[in-house]
Amino acid sequence: MITSLPDDIIVDILAHVSRWDYPTLSLVSKHFRSLVSSSELYARRSLLGYTEACIYSVLFNYDTERFHLYVLRRRLKRNNNSCYFVLIESLPPMPSNVSFVSIGSKIYVLSGDSSTTPYSIDCRSHIVQPYSRIPHGSKAIQIVDVIDKKIYVMGKCDHDDAKKVMLVFNTETQRWEPEMTTKPSLELRRFWFERVVIADKMYVRDYHYSQESFVYEPKEDKWELDEMLNSNKWYRGCVLDDLLYYYDPFENKLRAYDPKHRCWKVVKGLEEFLPHIAFPWSDTVSYGWKLAVFFITCENWVIRREIWCAEISIERRQGEIWGKVESYDVVFSWKFSYNKTLAVMV
Amino acid sequence: MSSNKIVLTSSDGESFEVEEVVARKLQIVGHMLEDDCVINEIPLQNVTGDILSMVIEYCKTHVDEEESEEAQTKLKTWDEEFMKKFDIKTLLQIILAANYLNVKGLLDLVSQTIADTIKDYTPEQIREVFGVENDYTEEEEAEVRKENAWAFDEADTPKP
Repeated sequence: MITSLPDDIIVDILAHVSRWDYPTLSLVSKHFRSLVSSSELYARRSLLGYTEACIYSVLFNYDTERFHLYVLRRRLKRNNNSCYFVLIESLPPMPSNVSFVSIGSKIYVLSGDSSTTPYSIDCRSHIVQPYSRIPHGSKAIQIVDVIDKKIYVMGKCDHDDAKKVMLVFNTETQRWEPEMTTKPSLELRRFWFERVVIADKMYVRDYHYSQESFVYEPKEDKWELDEMLNSNKWYRGCVLDDLLYYYDPFENKLRAYDPKHRCWKVVKGLEEFLPHIAFPWSDTVSYGWKLAVFFITCENWVIRREIWCAEISIERRQGEIWGKVESYDVVFSWKFSYNKTLAVMV
Repeated sequence: MSSNKIVLTSSDGESFEVEEVVARKLQIVGHMLEDDCVINEIPLQNVTGDILSMVIEYCKTHVDEEESEEAQTKLKTWDEEFMKKFDIKTLLQIILAANYLNVKGLLDLVSQTIADTIKDYTPEQIREVFGVENDYTEEEEAEVRKENAWAFDEADTPKP
């Protein structure tokens, strides 16, 4: 038997294996475990284009009364494509008022509660690493979004709570940018709820005032009202190939917005599929050429009962957008409340 | 294309006469030919004749890599059939040879085939294939299982 396969050949083989099989491979020996968590392996995966999208969700569990991180696991070994959310037990519960974003293989967590140090979770190993608190004595409120590996965070000035500022954390240098990039403005005082980034511009929609949608260009610190985007009450959207997608529960449609041409479209081919029951809540996440739409059933205004997930592959043909449902399953069924779901590249 | 013949000799003395274009698919040979263009016999120390013949079979098939979709599909089918011939032990020898001879396409193909084979293996089976000893204590193994509980089948029943 071959006892001396060089490490770089083993790494090459492991790079072709799904990350879902890495835990089994870590059990082989200590050396295998170190190869499975090595940066060489992940560099090789990314070079080969074998990086996988994994879906994570933060759910509040009414039994433990805490927020926890869950991962959408596929039943690979049973030759069955259905999937469900599994708790990651090795991670501590998440703080409340949490907002989070994913960049590459990491989830960045920031709590509105200033006593909690912000931290990141490396989803390759599920290791938690703190990052530095916000300077200038400002208070962070929530993560807004990510542009070019920089996290935009809405903050409050310490001397004037009414004044909001935008703070920027650079994930490459792991530092907060010394200057606030955005001056306090009328738009910043709004209560944003929905936000996505398309082509380095931030699209936000507020709930508080007139439910208006704005486009923010960070380079020029410029705000603009987008009336066309405004014409649909988009929420919990995601971005795929520079289009914004969201599920419209009122008309039972998956809608897409093209910010370049300022127009809305309905994703075709889903008419027969879209849910038989009206779901009051939903969320979307994109990965590769696919969307996952999560439909949430509820017991009352706060407590939810079930999460259904539809995986939809998207194709753009001659100006039309077509969707094909690849799977549709219950992926969680327990008392919970819902935060946001993210795709992480591992 | 040149129809020069090159003789490749394995570590156990087996010789294979192949066309230069085929030999050049082995990058190790390609580099030697660039250094000195009058070589026509090349000894390959780290590969036995039975394995070298398989590598040559792969290179002969892949000598004209046509771009057309039809040709690509045909090659892919051939690759799949070719890989079916070997057990895991032979695949490991081929991957070592492909690495030594530097045949990029074959390296990738065999890596994928081995990966697809071992993905359903138990840790015990993987140890056997790679000749690795289990150096975990029971406690350490339990710890690794616990850390990765999200990925194991025990987690099959959704729990709070």
